[in-house]
Amino acid sequence: MSPMRVTVSRTLGRMRSLYSSALAIAAFLSASAVAFSFGLEAAEGGSLSVAAVWAAAVSPFLPALAAFLAMDVWSDEKQSGRIELLLSAPVLERDLTLGKYLGVFVAIAASTLLSFAVTVAALRFAAPSALAGVGPLGFCPAFIALMLQGALWSAVSVAMSAMFRHAATAACASLLLLVGIPRGGWAALLAWAPQGRPQFGEMPLDAQVVDMASGLFSSGTIVSYLVLSAFFLFVASKFVAMLRFGGRGGRSWRMSTGVALVLAFLLSGLCVELSHRTDVKLDVPVGNTGKPFSARTRSILVEAQGDMTATCFLSRRDARFREVSRFLRALQAESASLGGLKIDISYIDPRWDIGRAEELIRLGASEDSIVFVKGRRRAFLPLSDGFGERVCASAILRLTMPPQRRNVYWSIGHGEISATDYGSWGMSDIARDLSREGYRNATIDLSGDASIPSDCALIVVAGAKDDFSRAETGRIDSYLKAGGRLLVLTSAAESGGVSSLLPSWGLRASAFQATGTRTVTGSDVIVGDFSEHAISKPLDGSRILLERPVAFMPSAAAEAGSGADRVEFSPLARAGTSVVAAAVERGVGTGADLSIRPTRIVAIGDASFAMNGQLMARASANRDFFLNCVAYLSGTDASVASGADSGALVTGFDRAGRLKFLLYTAGAVPLAVALVMLLVALRRRRRT
Amino acid sequence: MFEVRNIAFTYRSEPVLRDVSFVVSPGEAVCVVGANGAGKTTLLKVLATLAVPDSGIVIVDGQNALARPIKYRRQLGYLPERIALYEDMTVKEYLHYRALLKGEMSKRIRRRIDEACEICRIGSLLRSPIGTLSAGQAKRVAFADAILLRPRVLLLDDLLAGLDSEMRADMGEIVSEAAAFSAVVVTGHELDDLAKWANRFLVLKDGVISASIDAVGAAAESVRTKLDAALKGVPEKGAPEKNEADGKGAAK
Repeated sequence: MSPMRVTVSRTLGRMRSLYSSALAIAAFLSASAVAFSFGLEAAEGGSLSVAAVWAAAVSPFLPALAAFLAMDVWSDEKQSGRIELLLSAPVLERDLTLGKYLGVFVAIAASTLLSFAVTVAALRFAAPSALAGVGPLGFCPAFIALMLQGALWSAVSVAMSAMFRHAATAACASLLLLVGIPRGGWAALLAWAPQGRPQFGEMPLDAQVVDMASGLFSSGTIVSYLVLSAFFLFVASKFVAMLRFGGRGGRSWRMSTGVALVLAFLLSGLCVELSHRTDVKLDVPVGNTGKPFSARTRSILVEAQGDMTATCFLSRRDARFREVSRFLRALQAESASLGGLKIDISYIDPRWDIGRAEELIRLGASEDSIVFVKGRRRAFLPLSDGFGERVCASAILRLTMPPQRRNVYWSIGHGEISATDYGSWGMSDIARDLSREGYRNATIDLSGDASIPSDCALIVVAGAKDDFSRAETGRIDSYLKAGGRLLVLTSAAESGGVSSLLPSWGLRASAFQATGTRTVTGSDVIVGDFSEHAISKPLDGSRILLERPVAFMPSAAAEAGSGADRVEFSPLARAGTSVVAAAVERGVGTGADLSIRPTRIVAIGDASFAMNGQLMARASANRDFFLNCVAYLSGTDASVASGADSGALVTGFDRAGRLKFLLYTAGAVPLAVALVMLLVALRRRRRT
Repeated sequence: MFEVRNIAFTYRSEPVLRDVSFVVSPGEAVCVVGANGAGKTTLLKVLATLAVPDSGIVIVDGQNALARPIKYRRQLGYLPERIALYEDMTVKEYLHYRALLKGEMSKRIRRRIDEACEICRIGSLLRSPIGTLSAGQAKRVAFADAILLRPRVLLLDDLLAGLDSEMRADMGEIVSEAAAFSAVVVTGHELDDLAKWANRFLVLKDGVISASIDAVGAAAESVRTKLDAALKGVPEKGAPEKNEADGKGAAK
């Protein structure tokens, strides 16, 4: 057996005999389980895989685990004096360091594996839908990501233990280096430049884990972790070796070690820089998504025939270049495989291709943007405004639709939620999405004598607090009778907004019955029961969230009438027995004149349904549901959004289920692990 | 043959060892004595490669041992001044771990442990947890660790410190047995006990070897008298010129 293996075995054996190791591992399991539970809640209905949520939950606690497990691997040897026996043995310091490092790493890997096993087992019993289509292999990328981080954290912690004589000092130094400086620095950066928050995105350490767990591997990131791990191991080994160099005779050794450390630092930095410059991204399909594009994008690509040019107007040295280029190529391939739009990609580097760059700038493109051109129509997508599948799909849709403006009028003057409010309580996000879809957002105040413009595609009444006057409701009623379209978001069961108008159009708001509904916070409702309506059918398999909803039921008007006057009430989404979103349509009955535009009203029982705060805080299909409503109401059925991917994360948890899951994974299991490990340690200690 | 040649060591500008040279033959037990702070422990640390000397070399079988430290450490047994063992292990587990760490093949380990235990008389302690051992027993275990692979050079720092008279006498016998296959260098202050079995004494004073006293065949009282005189700084007849002591006395 090699000395390194002996040291690994000894390091693990020592951990088994320490109470602190048992408590550290149990605390790690418990904390990561709590984080996972909250992560699941936030990711409910989103496209993030359960493996990515698990990795994101475990990742922040790995540095602490590494620091606690490694804190005394060297410092204890130094403090007790056993270091002399170790250094007088015929073993290289490098082998001893590597042995201790591997011991810590194995312990971290085992703890992570335990967390994985507990999570999967608990989900299998409590929320099997979350694991649908995700086999154990689906967790592999997440595990690899965590092990890459674990390798680096272990190396740093072992190096700190080699540097400091006291275990507590070593642990504090590790935590400072692994948690304090990166996370503190990141917080300071965001505090210093809050306007840069959208550009900075997530903290790199967290983002890297989620990326890898989602199957997006970056060679630069992997090489960085490996190189830095090797560097810190080198540091640890040199600090151990320097214990021999106390006298003057060791001066030259100390100097050469110092030079070696500086060179190693520079070399590591160079490797990291080079690896990022020559970064290669590898996209591994993970879990049940398997496909890179949503159903919505695919339907847009299929329906949009003809040729289109996508120009990547971005410097090749820009960090986003590879991602954008990869996306465009994937979009091109997807469209070709579907037999839809033929996309040609061209690249214009603003620094080198000056002539074409000037032309684009003259046309209005900024230096970091994607330009879609179809025929004589262009769409400019500045990357600073956000880039992604949704943005590109909307741009393609806009270019392929007939060039007519569809105006969405947002009602104001009654305490409605503003479409221009960029705060959490505003609806600027969804308004921007509508702009991307080709709609024009405008406001309308019906309190004066203003009539509803003839170019109005639909009116949105979002969370009106005050009642509309009789004159106002009269105007809306006339508009609706002439085939108008209305989207109402309301949390008021009895009064407020246009609630007095709705019964005459077949809708009646009522108190929500919470029987049999699923909730996360107690006040919200998770809805996944969608009807076969054009708005809600494409959302099958995803979830929408409503805060303190109201219910809708058909009014007497819905039962009356015949032919063109017949009002059809269609539930869109049900929570338990209550309908929380409904649509009514008049003018499509038997014998109706096909030239008459049917009246359509959609009501959603939650005023905050599409508020910025709601859309940002929780992953759900609310955004798609809203866009579907607008598309349905404006009559552009071709642009009906198809909701979240079929791979959306669905746990099927209710509040009680989540609590049970939390108690089991964050309480019972860590407690059992701690007890078993404490018993093992106690047995060893009693024996000795 | 174990030869130390012109070893010098300075710690924070203070010379601790100055031009120390001596030779120890196989089978010989040389005892380095001196007042506290004379540099005994430092000398043994230098010889155990735990400290790098300013100058000087250590020769084992005609080769500069410090130039190939790993090979040298395979031939080395070292008992530090401060005995610190892994208290969560039994004696057997500890010796097994140390033998593996020193690179011994698994199939030979059992025999090695049995031999070391026989010499150190700790066979009955093999299953005992180290945490329950007395200081004397722990020292024996540490000694067994030092001689586990039958080293060519055995360095024993402050061997008899903290042991009662019976244990000290036992330790003398153990060292004598170990000296059968090793060149032994031992340090200590227990001159009477050391004089019973040491072949030669080297008096270390202010970092230099000030006297070499041959103890083979001499009466313990006479050795003690010479040692006292050397430690007090009174020049002895037959003390080596300069700072050198060879193994000729032992050879005789």
